[in-house]
Amino acid sequence: MEMDLVLILHMIIASLAGTVLYTLIGIAPGTDETAVLAPVTMVMVLTGFEPIVILTFFISAIIAKKLTDSIPVAIAGIPGGVMSAPMVEHAMVLKKHGMPEVSIRKMASGSVIGTIVAVPLSLLLANFILPFGDTLSQYANQVFLGGAVFLALMTKSRWFALLSILPFAFLIQGLRNFYWEIGVVPEDTTVFTSFFLGITLGPVILKLVELLNRKVRDRLPRYGIKEIILTKRTPEKGFPNPFKILTKKEVGTSSIASFFGVLTFFMSPVGMTIFLGETLTSRIKEPIKRASRAVSSMDGLTNAAYISGTLIPLIAIGLPLSPTAIGPGGALFNAPPVFTPENNIHHMLSMGDFVLATIIGSVVAISITFYITIKYAQQICAFVFRYIPHEAMLGLFIGLVLMLSYMDAGILNIFGVILVGLVAGFLHRKGVNYGVQFMTLYAAPWLVSLFF
Amino acid sequence: MSIKDQNKDVENIEVWEDLVHIRDLVICLVICSLTTLGGYLIAPNEPPTPLIVGLIGAVVGFILCSIIIKPKRTFRYEEEK
Repeated sequence: MEMDLVLILHMIIASLAGTVLYTLIGIAPGTDETAVLAPVTMVMVLTGFEPIVILTFFISAIIAKKLTDSIPVAIAGIPGGVMSAPMVEHAMVLKKHGMPEVSIRKMASGSVIGTIVAVPLSLLLANFILPFGDTLSQYANQVFLGGAVFLALMTKSRWFALLSILPFAFLIQGLRNFYWEIGVVPEDTTVFTSFFLGITLGPVILKLVELLNRKVRDRLPRYGIKEIILTKRTPEKGFPNPFKILTKKEVGTSSIASFFGVLTFFMSPVGMTIFLGETLTSRIKEPIKRASRAVSSMDGLTNAAYISGTLIPLIAIGLPLSPTAIGPGGALFNAPPVFTPENNIHHMLSMGDFVLATIIGSVVAISITFYITIKYAQQICAFVFRYIPHEAMLGLFIGLVLMLSYMDAGILNIFGVILVGLVAGFLHRKGVNYGVQFMTLYAAPWLVSLFF
Repeated sequence: MSIKDQNKDVENIEVWEDLVHIRDLVICLVICSLTTLGGYLIAPNEPPTPLIVGLIGAVVGFILCSIIIKPKRTFRYEEEK
């Protein structure tokens, strides 16, 4: 009993840490969900925290990140992450009418609805899929290849994406075989973590390497300093209630959007947000009403899609079969030697553990982040914009990648990861999204073995 | 705004959706790489100690960079209309 209390205390601490860290990171402009969530989760897993503590941390982190990355959208029209980009247009309508505060309140309340809908529904849906989980995981390789092909066909540059699968798999297996050959890695160890992060930070690595070329550097557009103006507001009083902030109709649309966000957990959340957000609001004529309906339901949907995309594959299958699971949540499924596809959080936790971790993680994150978002959105924005340089963020993530590359296979692998990052960054730029690349990374050993 | 700041005015480039100054970026990359990888290497070689020290190094590097580098944003409040 005493052990349990200690464990729960650890979970609450992890949850608090995830909430605070990702409340700040969420606000920083342009932070890609995969790039900011995957490295930190990976380090936590490899450090050896309890699986249930890591899951609690992760749930808090995604909820806090999803709640706060819409703040800069509302206040400055700058998306705090890829997922909040679809909301910019609608948030700008509210901002134009001098209502950025309304925007934040509606978005944050939409997020709360998204979480309330997604947690029980995801657990339910996961239970429903569970009987098929074992069958699915027997065909993991085929499923990953199928996923890569499916996601490739869903992108705009579908033939290029399709063509990229095999060469990219060759690159990954080629490096692994090379490491085994020269003996920097034992034959039974498959380098995964650092390649995963190389793909994650691929676009940034490519951009940084390009900067070494003077001709490219001279041609780049130059900017002055980004000017951000905030309208000063008086702070709110009392504890905010999301059901009072939203109108009945907004609660309705947010719930419907979140419901579909959970059902389509295996689809691209950004695509679903654009599609459903526009469909559900297109018939509203009045611009302000339409915009606030759109931002609340879109925020609900992104939050719900992230929670379900993590929980359903994790509970039911044990393989990362959703864009969220394979990207930001990748470390929960595969982080050798701690987690492998055959032995990860799916296998280690019971249903009760999943429920406990999800509830602690989401309740802590939602209550803290919702409260401070409504109360102090401006102050936090001001702090991040004023004191956190973008250079430091880039340094932080590149530093983590370097360390994990060295850990996987020594100095040599730093260059290996640069190579993977350059190719991944190039593919990304040509429209081959993370989903296709990650699925290929998983399918690579089997896919290449088909040829000899 | 000082003269030095004015010279920097049109030198920033966009990386990952926000503005950076190339020299500052190089400084941050060097500092964070040194503190993170350095932390990992100097720690006693008993897993998971190197990772933890490396992670601490990463945070230290991040804070150091935030202190010595100024964000490429200006920020001001506008009074409510």
